[in-house]
Amino acid sequence: MDKSTLLLLAVVLAVFGGSVAAGHPAWGTFTGIAIILLAAGLAAGTLPLKSQDYFDERIGPTQRISSSLITLSSAAIVAIYAAGYHRTSSAAHKFDSQTPQARGSTTVATVTPPPPPSPATKPGSSGPPAPASKKNNSRPATPRKGAPKKSGDSATSSAPSPASDKAAPDATATPAAAAKAAYKDGVYLGWGSCRHGDIEASVTIQDGKIASAVISQCLTRYSCNWIAPKPPAGALPDLPAQVVERQSAKVDYVSGATESSYAFADAVIAALAKATE
Amino acid sequence: MHSPMPSSQLWPKPRNNGILRTEALMGTFVSIHVVCEGGDRGRAMREQAVERAFNWFRRVEECCTRFEPSSELMQLTAQVGVPARVSPLLYEAVQFALAVAEESGGAFDPTVGYAMESRGFNREYRSGKVIENSLDSSRSVNYRDICLDPEAKTITLLRPLILDLGAVAKGLAVDLAARELRRFKDFAVNAGGDLYLGGCNPEGEPWSIGIRHPRNDGDLIDCLRISDRAVCTSGDYERRTSNEQGHHILNPRTSSSADEVASVTVIAPNAMLADALATAAFVLGPAGGMELFDRMGVEGLMVTPELECHATRGLSEYR
Repeated sequence: MDKSTLLLLAVVLAVFGGSVAAGHPAWGTFTGIAIILLAAGLAAGTLPLKSQDYFDERIGPTQRISSSLITLSSAAIVAIYAAGYHRTSSAAHKFDSQTPQARGSTTVATVTPPPPPSPATKPGSSGPPAPASKKNNSRPATPRKGAPKKSGDSATSSAPSPASDKAAPDATATPAAAAKAAYKDGVYLGWGSCRHGDIEASVTIQDGKIASAVISQCLTRYSCNWIAPKPPAGALPDLPAQVVERQSAKVDYVSGATESSYAFADAVIAALAKATE
Repeated sequence: MHSPMPSSQLWPKPRNNGILRTEALMGTFVSIHVVCEGGDRGRAMREQAVERAFNWFRRVEECCTRFEPSSELMQLTAQVGVPARVSPLLYEAVQFALAVAEESGGAFDPTVGYAMESRGFNREYRSGKVIENSLDSSRSVNYRDICLDPEAKTITLLRPLILDLGAVAKGLAVDLAARELRRFKDFAVNAGGDLYLGGCNPEGEPWSIGIRHPRNDGDLIDCLRISDRAVCTSGDYERRTSNEQGHHILNPRTSSSADEVASVTVIAPNAMLADALATAAFVLGPAGGMELFDRMGVEGLMVTPELECHATRGLSEYR
């Protein structure tokens, strides 16, 4: 018999006792008080039981610590989410106003061609497939709605501060003179490559500035092996889009060490080189 | 090598009218996938939510990047010895990072920023720009050199140091994006292999997640079924330093790359925790890492360079 049933029984008996008390004062009062005491005792007895369960569940020597870190992380996410856009976006504007040059002008000089990003990167990484097929495959660049300017900034901006000039490698493929040259308006495509695949960036130039830089295509070259006990499962669509059709993919996503997107920088640089030709 | 595939294969239309968008953010590729059922009803709403989710990534990156002198994080590092009032985002991120540092006995340490830079992790991923910070590197710093004031929400750096929130920020952005998408139930956020999987995949089953093989590029070493959980993996096979002698996870105690483990995967309620614990376990090695997972109540899989797999007992429930 569980506790709630006992409680219910006690309440019913108490009501019964009350009605008896109304008819036969002496007996009724006695039984009534006895039953009410019983009910109170049951109720009082169940409460500590409950809280005892609660403590048993929550305070184990190991559980308490784990829940504290899980709780802390969850609380942090909620707190930041609750702080919301208004504060975050105003903070972003604050930075914008603090560094108008940094965000306003994007020049080639700050977009320096990187050294090979990973050991396995092929040489000549910036233009893998044939130009003709690129044209066929390419989608027109569609600047993101709402924040086209921001996306352009965020994709390629960097502060042209003395520090960055100093830090830029001297042996850049882009002539320093190009820093001053305005880009020609239009949409330019460029390829970048890493060992997991190739990425095409579509850079839109408006009024001589980068209006947006988006990934327009990507090719990943994950093989289809998977050496666990099960028969070979599918290809792994991992990088930007799920490149391989879903039917052939038994895995939705792949978790792995963070892959860097230097390939995207390479692709943007390749596209910008065309914009200055 | 491959040859270019037909464009229909390059951009497969997600089934069930889903939304799938990818952008280069936070040094990697971020893709958000929302599974939609039925027709166009509610699609605009979903697209707006996806845009807001991406905005969280931009916001977190803007705040926590080491590569932009104007970022809030770098502005914080410019103020030593004085309490700096920071945004809720930065405060919570630093507070969490310090809590993990404490729990892991310093195996996870957000003050490895300078060591990262001096070992060649100093190139901005989009522009290729190289950063340089002049710090007095002769003095070693650790996480105890950061003081928090929970009342005033201020952070005080007791010594000159560079905070590296890399292991926290990306997970945090994934979690904020996931929270933005939570009401749609079935969705996936993938930030370069750090994942949060909500609900089910388009086939109506828990998301099927492969764990990358740390040595055979393109292979998987395990496969898990995940729903409403985050999965993050740390490995020694990406982001080698420019001098090819180490990877991006530094042992804060020795300032050199940790080498007892090839790959660590953690399943946790949120990506921030999963990412941080994976990084900590990487430094602790198999024994310390498994103990940490048990103590923290998360599931994990650790693979050694010899390809021995160590898994927590509860991990089999996800297989």
